[in-house]
Amino acid sequence: MARRKLAIVNEKIAETIIRVCGWISSLTILLMVVFLFKEGAGLFSSKQVEDGYVLAVNKSNKVDHLGVENIKDIFDMEITNWKEVGGEDMDIIVFRFTDITNYVSAEQLGADFENLPQCIDSVLAANAGMIAFFPETYMPENFSGKRIDGDNITLSSFFAGTEWFPTATPAPIFGILPLFLATILVSLAAIIMAVPLALSVAIYMAELASPKVRKILKPTIELLAGIPSVVYGFFGLVVFVPMVQKAFDLPVGETALAGAIILAIMALPTIITVSEDAMRSVPRSMKEASLALGATHWQTIWKVIMPYASSGIIAAIVMGVGRAIGETMAVLMVTGNSAVIPDSLLTPVRTIPATIAAELGEAPVGGAHYQALFMLGCILFVITLLISLAANKIQSKKK
Amino acid sequence: MMIQAEHINFYYGTFQALKNINMEIEANTVTAFIGPSGCGKSTFLRLINRMNDLIPDAKMDGTLKVEDKDIYAPDVKVDELRKRVGMVFQKPNPFPKSIYDNLAYGLRVNGVKDKKIIDERVETSLKGAALWDEVKDKLNKSAYDLSGGQQQRLCIARALAVQPSILLMDEPASALDPISTSKIEDLIFELKKDYTIVIVTHNMQQATRVSDKTAFFYLGNLIEYDDTQKIFLNPKEKETQNYITGRFG
Repeated sequence: MARRKLAIVNEKIAETIIRVCGWISSLTILLMVVFLFKEGAGLFSSKQVEDGYVLAVNKSNKVDHLGVENIKDIFDMEITNWKEVGGEDMDIIVFRFTDITNYVSAEQLGADFENLPQCIDSVLAANAGMIAFFPETYMPENFSGKRIDGDNITLSSFFAGTEWFPTATPAPIFGILPLFLATILVSLAAIIMAVPLALSVAIYMAELASPKVRKILKPTIELLAGIPSVVYGFFGLVVFVPMVQKAFDLPVGETALAGAIILAIMALPTIITVSEDAMRSVPRSMKEASLALGATHWQTIWKVIMPYASSGIIAAIVMGVGRAIGETMAVLMVTGNSAVIPDSLLTPVRTIPATIAAELGEAPVGGAHYQALFMLGCILFVITLLISLAANKIQSKKK
Repeated sequence: MMIQAEHINFYYGTFQALKNINMEIEANTVTAFIGPSGCGKSTFLRLINRMNDLIPDAKMDGTLKVEDKDIYAPDVKVDELRKRVGMVFQKPNPFPKSIYDNLAYGLRVNGVKDKKIIDERVETSLKGAALWDEVKDKLNKSAYDLSGGQQQRLCIARALAVQPSILLMDEPASALDPISTSKIEDLIFELKKDYTIVIVTHNMQQATRVSDKTAFFYLGNLIEYDDTQKIFLNPKEKETQNYITGRFG
């Protein structure tokens, strides 16, 4: 009796532990998603001008609003006259607070730079065409200039912006279009390369290979899925990048094409194994029905097995796409990391995951750049979520 | 002779499934293969359209002639043979396509592209399988919308569409209800005029109802092969007697 009771208690304890584990892991996953979105969403309430800094012009200046692109061009000296941005015909004088020593002497600044704010104010007041950029801590009392802080970062500037300059000062530019398009381009090219190859292998394994060959081939291909992506990247860097460079006579081989090739290879195992399983699960009676009508093996594969397995094959492709879109390391290593809108497969590009991996380390926590990277993470999450939902839908449709 | 088997031995790996089978089947007859499970009757049936080719590790010796040609000769094209020797399986196995496409499949894989010929053949085959009246208004509906018995008749029609001379049936009514079964049996009786039919069945009454000749298989041997009447009323062998009276099997 006592033993029986003990067994019941033990079972209860085990059950509780399992229950708690289940809840903890589900909650962790959920909280990660919440965290991702929480960090990312802050982006749209931050100003375009870098946090903690002031951008100001002389108060006589008619310009009281500047877009991020204009700010960047002004500070890059590409716009040199106010009339280009809607002001009077007047040269722009760019002033960063470290330039202060060009205008005033060290004595005027004071031993501990205690007069710096006052000096900034007077320098700005003295130069009608000046645009000044300085930390908020040096904001003068009774500031005589006019602040230009720019707008909040908008959804449209983020999603439709064509430039990604996250470290530009004073106003970083977060336009994800180049990254998004690069991701789509590289993944699409990869899938276009991978699908015919993968389906050929799947057909070969499911229908043509002898059981002996299949027994060796299948685990080998599954093993391919287990190779760390950095190794793929390394392989791509050493093998495909020079190959692409030579074949197309390019200045650099790190291109979207090199990334697509590596991704295609990485997507192969998933597509092969899933579609092969789908083909093998076609009932034998279907195959026999076709053969018994005088169809050849090839006709049977093409007209009965492939259509019957089509939902599984599509799911396999979708899963391959998911893998390609989310892949980071290998792509980062071979695509050349240039965040411009790609005009061909032979240009260097940078995908969303590669951007996150490359930039998160240098983005100050809580800053706009940091939030923008989290927002990129959100986008990636949504894309892969949609893809796996689609895959589920297609697969369940079959049953 | 439509089908002629001489000294057929068949092995699955090391297991001998058929032992020295000799048999002749005449044109326009219905021959029933009976015997307990695992006796080799289905194996023998599937030799006639070389369906056993799909089984790895299987081996056959002896001569099997269909319309006086050795079908296991090296120059025989299997798909050509299967056009002449149609097959209907135990479970209805229509393709997940429309009724029309199911019937057209056999023609299309054999290179018939003319829609008029296909339309015509679809109709005659469905009429031949006594299914036309039931499906003529829904040829574009999925074959899966049909009942089990209709599906099986569809499979028969599909086999007829390629105009074979022999029709092999592997327990074609075992998955069907009694009404559908009797429809299939009536159909077999009709088809006998134009086709040579070999049917494997577990149902002794069915064998007596539809067949002209019956072959009794037991443990890979062809025990007895004679007119159906004789087999069931006056069998020569004791095993046959025991089986048909239900003492084992």
